[in-house]
Amino acid sequence: MPSNALSSVKEQSLQKLSHYGPVTSLKIFKSSLILAGYGPILKVYSVDKASNTTKLIFQKQVFGRNKIHSIAVSDEGKILVCGGRSFAVLKVDEEHCKLQVGSERAINEWIVSCAFLNETTALILNSHNTVYKIDVSQWDTEDQHFSLLEEVHCNEKSILYSGSIRILGNGDVYVAAGTVMNGVIIWNYHTKQILHNLTDHEGSIFGVKIDRNGKYVVSCSDDRSIKLYDLETAQLLATGWGHGSRIWNLDFFLQMDADVKIMSAGEDCTLRFWQYNQQESSLDQLELIENAHLGKHIWSSDIDDETLGLCVSGGADGKIRVHDLQNRGTLLSYSLVEISKQTGLTFQKNEIIKQYCELEVQTLFLTSHGQFFAMKANDSSFVKVTIPETLSKEFNNFGIMHGFKQSNSAIVCTRTGALLKIAFADEQEPSFEWIIESSSPNKVTNFLSYKGETSTYMFTDCPNPQIPFTFHILDHRLKIQKTLTLAQPERTFTSTFMHIDETNNWLFLGSRHATIAIYDLNSNSNANISLQVSAVFRKMCPGDTITSISFIEGNHNEATLLVTVRDGIYMYVKFSRVEDQEEFKFTILQENKLSKGFLEGAMIKDGSLIVYGFKSSHFYIWNETKQVEITNELCGGAHRKWELITYDEEADIDYKFIYINKSSLFFKTFKGRFTDANYGIINEGTHGREIRDIAISPVAYDDGNRLLLTASEDTTVRLSSVDTNGIITTYWCMNNHVSGMQKIAFINEEYAGSTAANEEFIIWKLSKLQASKVPVITEFARLPPSSDIPDLRIMDFTTIESTEGDIIVAAVYSDSSIKLWYLNTNTAQFVPLVEDRYTTCCILNVNFIKVKGQVLLVTGTTDGNVTIWDALECFLSTTDNTVTKLGPMLVKQQLHQSGVKALAIQYNDNDIHIFTGGDDNALVVSKLILSSNEVILEPISFVESAASSTITSISLVSTNKIFVTSVDQIIRLWTFNGEDLECDAATYTTVSDTGCSDAFSGTTNGTSLLFVGGAGLSVWK
Amino acid sequence: MGKSSKDKRDLYYRKAKEQGWRARSAFKLLQLNERFDLFSDIERVVDLCAAPGSWSQVLSRELFQKQDKKNAKIVSVDLQPMVPIEGVTTIQADITHPKTLQEILNVFGGEPADFVCSDGAPDVTGLHDLDEYIQAQLILAALQLTTCILKPGGKFVAKVFRGRDIDLLYAQLSYLFEQVICAKPRSSRGTSLEAFIVCLGYKPRAGWQPKLELNKSTEEFFRGSGIGKAENMQYLELPEDERLIAKFIACGDINDVDSDATYTLDTLDKIQSLNPVQLPTAPPYKRALELKRLGQANSKRV
Ligand SMILES: C[S@@+](CC[C@H](N)C(=O)[O-])C[C@H]1O[C@@H](n2cnc3c(N)ncnc32)[C@H](O)[C@@H]1O
Repeated sequence: MPSNALSSVKEQSLQKLSHYGPVTSLKIFKSSLILAGYGPILKVYSVDKASNTTKLIFQKQVFGRNKIHSIAVSDEGKILVCGGRSFAVLKVDEEHCKLQVGSERAINEWIVSCAFLNETTALILNSHNTVYKIDVSQWDTEDQHFSLLEEVHCNEKSILYSGSIRILGNGDVYVAAGTVMNGVIIWNYHTKQILHNLTDHEGSIFGVKIDRNGKYVVSCSDDRSIKLYDLETAQLLATGWGHGSRIWNLDFFLQMDADVKIMSAGEDCTLRFWQYNQQESSLDQLELIENAHLGKHIWSSDIDDETLGLCVSGGADGKIRVHDLQNRGTLLSYSLVEISKQTGLTFQKNEIIKQYCELEVQTLFLTSHGQFFAMKANDSSFVKVTIPETLSKEFNNFGIMHGFKQSNSAIVCTRTGALLKIAFADEQEPSFEWIIESSSPNKVTNFLSYKGETSTYMFTDCPNPQIPFTFHILDHRLKIQKTLTLAQPERTFTSTFMHIDETNNWLFLGSRHATIAIYDLNSNSNANISLQVSAVFRKMCPGDTITSISFIEGNHNEATLLVTVRDGIYMYVKFSRVEDQEEFKFTILQENKLSKGFLEGAMIKDGSLIVYGFKSSHFYIWNETKQVEITNELCGGAHRKWELITYDEEADIDYKFIYINKSSLFFKTFKGRFTDANYGIINEGTHGREIRDIAISPVAYDDGNRLLLTASEDTTVRLSSVDTNGIITTYWCMNNHVSGMQKIAFINEEYAGSTAANEEFIIWKLSKLQASKVPVITEFARLPPSSDIPDLRIMDFTTIESTEGDIIVAAVYSDSSIKLWYLNTNTAQFVPLVEDRYTTCCILNVNFIKVKGQVLLVTGTTDGNVTIWDALECFLSTTDNTVTKLGPMLVKQQLHQSGVKALAIQYNDNDIHIFTGGDDNALVVSKLILSSNEVILEPISFVESAASSTITSISLVSTNKIFVTSVDQIIRLWTFNGEDLECDAATYTTVSDTGCSDAFSGTTNGTSLLFVGGAGLSVWK
Repeated sequence: MGKSSKDKRDLYYRKAKEQGWRARSAFKLLQLNERFDLFSDIERVVDLCAAPGSWSQVLSRELFQKQDKKNAKIVSVDLQPMVPIEGVTTIQADITHPKTLQEILNVFGGEPADFVCSDGAPDVTGLHDLDEYIQAQLILAALQLTTCILKPGGKFVAKVFRGRDIDLLYAQLSYLFEQVICAKPRSSRGTSLEAFIVCLGYKPRAGWQPKLELNKSTEEFFRGSGIGKAENMQYLELPEDERLIAKFIACGDINDVDSDATYTLDTLDKIQSLNPVQLPTAPPYKRALELKRLGQANSKRV
């Protein structure tokens, strides 16, 4: 029997610690469990309806190689899982908290779908439209003898892309088969007769289902539409359009007595709910959940609208999410007419609601004509707030109002900067008091306030740059303690946001052009002289208006703040100063740009970074840490006046969004049913597209955790940490790259680099927050592209430290270019040193070798060669400004028939070994011999068929031990004993498109962690 | 797909245009032939999954023009319609359907073929295991035809994607051919898993009579063929699969154009604006795109 001995070697010596990857099937079971086919692993989650929490109760790899693509359950609670050719029977024994798992069994064909005909008989639909009737009664006996009772078919054995089996209450069994070419075939399992061939779709059918009452068929195809049919008559009832790409999943709602409803999900990562209205030829889209998963593809879904009121989706990003079907918050709206009726106020024709603020038991409103009214929190009724006419006219056409819940008061600012306090007390009419009388004739454009721990602060600006700002410090009952004037920073300064750091007594003012000014409130106590600005940082990042500033962490003489810019940037900025010195410094620790329209603000909530703003006609709240949308509201677009109120955990709502649209007042409240349960993410995931490279930080934290950088086809870089159990926690998902990524690597503890197509090359700087220990990352330097339309791929890069502590960088390109730069770590500039070219073929790898006073540059290329240049000269000439060529080519040696896909260099005491892996399946060890007058690369060991497919990466594990991945989805550990390469271990990985790896050996316990990336990410030990 | 600046700089694309091939794929067959001398001693050929037809063009030029074989016969099959090529019989059909294979046999009228090739590739879904399965089905369908029509000693070439389980296919083919090689022409991108199995010296399985039946699936066709394909076990146990690694050979001159490289415009001679070599047929989602353009697709959010 022909055999490939290298597909399985001492498998038990490799232990899989964790895996993140495509969720290939989902099934809600008995209204209390969610079963997930997580590749070959079955995960079982319990759902607690009362607390809305889910918990992973079992997980077990049920198949060796195949992924679970379909799951069926029996009345008595047996579970049938199928995928590829494999199947297995299982049972959740809730009483004993046990998952009973039968052995993996197989038929000779790809399985499309499955069902239980009864407790002892399984039906398995194969990809040639044949149903295998299998006796599974022996599943829990020792032998587990399954027998194939019958192969049932309808005489039409087309290849299927999709299909399902529906067993009806009356015993009828229908097979719905989705073919590649011939539409949908519906046939009767018992009679083996074809009932219908539905050919309205174009292209392959990717999903087809029959509802549980046997009345309807729904299908989807390559044409991106959904078609609903009457099962009995085969009449096409309606078509649904809307998905932006292919649809993979369809499910009928369970409750279909009143309305026919369907859920769909697919490649565009949206979930959509549809309703069929009789007599209408289009399905009505009831709801759309966008960005349900990252990247591309929702592969699986299920719905329980009846008992749990939720649906569940699984993506290529490895995330499993539950989505609420019941509780969508409330939306209340009131027209001015209605408010007028309730309050008895008369509104002028052009009168509009200008300002509002939420107080303790009411929300207070101010109109453009100086009228006040309130909405009571208890019954949502509107009442007039009677205000003396003399006061009211002050607010005709102007008035900025801020609310202070604790003192149940509002402060309204007049055009000239006078401040009126409106205080509410129980059932009485409010009291009015000027806390600042208008003194100056100067106009005010903005009134800002900040409520701190010890005091409340208020600020009024003035468009005339000669006139100082006015700043008040108040106690919490809003009594003024102190008033200061602040000299305006030079040039026009439009204040947009104020923040006070009470620890250091610093005042931060945000402005346009991404500018922040700082006033040191300690430095002047003389009320007669204006306080001078201590620092103005202009254009801190690209973008314009600073929309929010809030506190992250601080200390004596330093404050790290969260800053948002309307154009979409958020950043963590550390402001600091040396004791007794005037000068302030700022460092951006974290900066990222979102492509989510206008970013209006951000906050940290339960350890997550929450951002909000407007994207086209919507207001959104997005959890940036978890990468999920919390809610959105179709409010008509960015508004001049809106308010987002955030509530703490105990409150019965999470957020309230107040806005005005078409002169009506809207209150949208939102309570996420799963907010407290990790936002409904029941399993964390990874990138939404293939991972192209993985890098582990060279140094571990005290707790043994390390940082993990991953670069993906989805163009993002993720910064995560990995613990010693292989559990990955992601902190940041960086959007700086816009092209498909090639490489990512740590340069040292502080810096990392990443490359991509379109000549993108970014150097990152990494650090850690002091208090929370959260790692942060920001773009430190970016290589300017060499042409206006850069279309070269930077395939790989390598670095070496210069004697001055700066970094020398080498990068190789798809057009055979090799370039070296000197990266100045103070200026973040790339200074060109070398521009050279290999041939015209694409260079795949590059490395420096620094040994015995020599510096060599090694490349691996698509023509199978490993080439070595002398690079010492370019090194010595780092000071003058000329761009040179590489030194002489010392070695050009063909080691592989085609592309040298992987290259790793091992430094030993005496010699250097270069391990290469090729597109030609071969693994080669070459020895680098350096003598004073020549350099020789001598291949010393060679395994021609080291994999059955392209070797994609080699990572050094320890001395002469390498970890190798290849697209045949086998991972292998090899040892080089000085003469031969020996395969120590080889086992299958479920990560397909296996393309990258990294490894490290723990210093403490000697175990190594191995990382495999591709369509998913696995950690092995 | 229109012409992107990438296309303009793809040297194989430009060469194809210059030499009158309908697709850059032509070079893959040409480079395979350079290495394996596929075109010698052949007269009757089946080209499966042939659209838009560059392989058929290569074969037609070779047999009718270069070798001047008046009796040469070329049958080309694809799901997609194909613009006619001199001397080539085209069939528009699904090769995984036994009916199609029967139709091809009928065209040959009982005569054997000397060479069967298939460059078939399905539209990928992104679920790698499913895509690999569908690809394997295309190859098996081609192999099914091959066992029915190829003369002993004949050649078979098919596109493969070197993913997991490719070693199963190598093992199966090794029962049917003297030599099974995994070849990668330089014109095939190194970043893609694409390669070609080159199977030389067909040796029919002793004691197995391939029989095409219209209601038999590919899997059923191969039952009892003894080529190491896993069949249903008595108690449906998980079978031990036979796996084999085929020899890998890169072909095409090492100095040939590298399909992974980016060529700068100054390395290219100036030629007039390039039109797509062959206009693609309408995609099934054309209507979805149209509706979107018209703003009629449902994009409402609640
Ligand atoms: C890469 S193209 C072939 C290019 C061709 N060799 C040439 O040189 O022009 C792949 C072809 O496979 C075809 N194909 C895919 N599945 C098929 C099937 N089941 N039956 C027939 N053709 C199929 C596609 O329609 C597509 O035209």
